[in-house]
Amino acid sequence: MRSLYQRLLRLYPAVYRQEFGEEMQCVFLQAQAERSIAPLMKRAKFCARELMGLFSGAVQAQLRLLFGVDDWLRLRRFNMRPEFRFPRSTVFLMCVILAAVVLAIHKAKSVVVINEGLRSETVTIWDPLFWLCPLGAVLAVVGAVWGILFALRRTGLHRLDRAQTWPEQK
Amino acid sequence: MATFALSEPVFLVLLSLAEEPRHGYSILKDVESISGGRVQLSTGTLYGALQRLLDQGWIERIEEDAAPRDRRTYKLTSLGRKNLQMEIVRMRDLTKLAGLRTARKEA
Repeated sequence: MRSLYQRLLRLYPAVYRQEFGEEMQCVFLQAQAERSIAPLMKRAKFCARELMGLFSGAVQAQLRLLFGVDDWLRLRRFNMRPEFRFPRSTVFLMCVILAAVVLAIHKAKSVVVINEGLRSETVTIWDPLFWLCPLGAVLAVVGAVWGILFALRRTGLHRLDRAQTWPEQK
Repeated sequence: MATFALSEPVFLVLLSLAEEPRHGYSILKDVESISGGRVQLSTGTLYGALQRLLDQGWIERIEEDAAPRDRRTYKLTSLGRKNLQMEIVRMRDLTKLAGLRTARKEA
């Protein structure tokens, strides 16, 4: 377990490992020693919790280092500032609407082909392009939304709520 | 003003440090104790929270030359204490409202 813990610790960024690695390992060993006489089930739960916590912590630390985004995995909401939140449901709805529009456009094109050609056979719409178009569009929209949010954050808009323009009341 | 959402583990870590400065293992034990055994933090979660709180300036390390690396102590800063108090007030208001609403429903 100790060697597995050490291996998983290597998933963290080097800076993080230097700062907290040794400390984390010591705390883990203390907690493990305390549970050494616990029933098997409790020990298994402890190990699973530690490994999961370590893995998710490593992913979060790497993403924080790469993108400078805090709480990346906690995608309940895109927090810009306490008063302004961009709900995830809105992003989802935007993607669904866009996918529906792309689907409608594709179907409309198929109908035009049938009418112009005056062919009686059914035109297949299960070509790879049919699936790639909406997927690409969805990815583009998600990227665009993320870009807008990132740009807004870079402007320092979220810091406005900290500005106090009136004297404190006593 | 809170700049990131206070999750339950973060809130409990702050609450643990509000009483006295503590080191990592002591925080783990205290969080388990004050939550009645319901919240058991992993070391990954604990140090992720500690790093964020250090970055935000809500807690700080007590630098002791003689202290080994595994016994580094953390303490709440005045900013952290202020934010914790704000969160407690918010929760108190919420529970008060919840009490009123459920009482009204029962009546």
